[in-house]
Amino acid sequence: MSDLIQLSEDERDCYQEITNVAMGQAADRLARLLGVYVVLPIPNVNLIEINEFKMTLKSLEGNSTVSAVCQGFIGAGIAGEALLIFNDASFAEIAKLLDYPGNLDQHEELEMLMDVANVLNGACIQGIGEQLDIDFSQSHPVILGQHCSIADLLEPNQSRWQRTMAIEINYTIEDHNINCDLLLLFTEDSVVHMNRLISFLMDD
Amino acid sequence: MTTKVLICDDSKMARKQMARALPADWPVDVHFAQDGQEAIDLIKAQSFDVLFLDLTMPVLDGYATLEIIRQEDLPIMVLVVSGDIQPEAQERVKKLGAIDFIKKPVDAEQIKQVLIEYGILRDQAHE
Repeated sequence: MSDLIQLSEDERDCYQEITNVAMGQAADRLARLLGVYVVLPIPNVNLIEINEFKMTLKSLEGNSTVSAVCQGFIGAGIAGEALLIFNDASFAEIAKLLDYPGNLDQHEELEMLMDVANVLNGACIQGIGEQLDIDFSQSHPVILGQHCSIADLLEPNQSRWQRTMAIEINYTIEDHNINCDLLLLFTEDSVVHMNRLISFLMDD
Repeated sequence: MTTKVLICDDSKMARKQMARALPADWPVDVHFAQDGQEAIDLIKAQSFDVLFLDLTMPVLDGYATLEIIRQEDLPIMVLVVSGDIQPEAQERVKKLGAIDFIKKPVDAEQIKQVLIEYGILRDQAHE
């Protein structure tokens, strides 16, 4: 299968631009929730193999522990997962911004993680859907792990797929030590469908 | 009179979308730049009337581009076109001298209204 999906430069550019708009909408929601300014990066769009993916993740987070939430989305023959990975160091800062008093217990952290995941994943997925004219349904967010290493996170999931399109967005928040990565992973079949959809956007 | 327009965006698709969203009856000479540095070089080499400027770009982003335009007092009207719709982003670019903010994806009718509002395009319906 892996020789079937490909991404031309124009297609990559198109996904990047669509993501750019969607993540702007997501950042706006997060900025309003936390009362901060979210620094927007240039998103990375790549076709990757599972091994490369692991390396990408490891390089993202260094040696710090992370907490992660994933959320599936599906619509019009397109399916994928949004994976939000938080550097654990970010929690105390987010708690401060959301006015949680004192030290966080695990339940409060979980609640916060879910809140932020709902805002970022939801807005981003819907933003991409709107531009492609797809009404995505989202599953309930699922905690993949709390305070674990990236390796632990990936271990149970590693054999489900070989190659995928990954869109990677690194959000940082200005003047605060908050850092998270949103990865949107699409199945191979979805990429074939999406390439057809974006060809309408790229038409002259 | 033909208006000289520069569209600066790192995305080829975004440049095309922007160019297509310009009013059909507006006599323009459209040029393109892929990042802020290219835009600055072009503005210095030949004068432009209007710059449509993206914010998130490699090499030189939109904020830095606005700063250079202001510091060097380059005579051009800048309209920022971005997906970064945070209120703070809009405030910042206006402080840096952009005359207005247009959110992506661009809408032809909105572009027209903005151009009329700032007297860049004359509203033929009211003449």
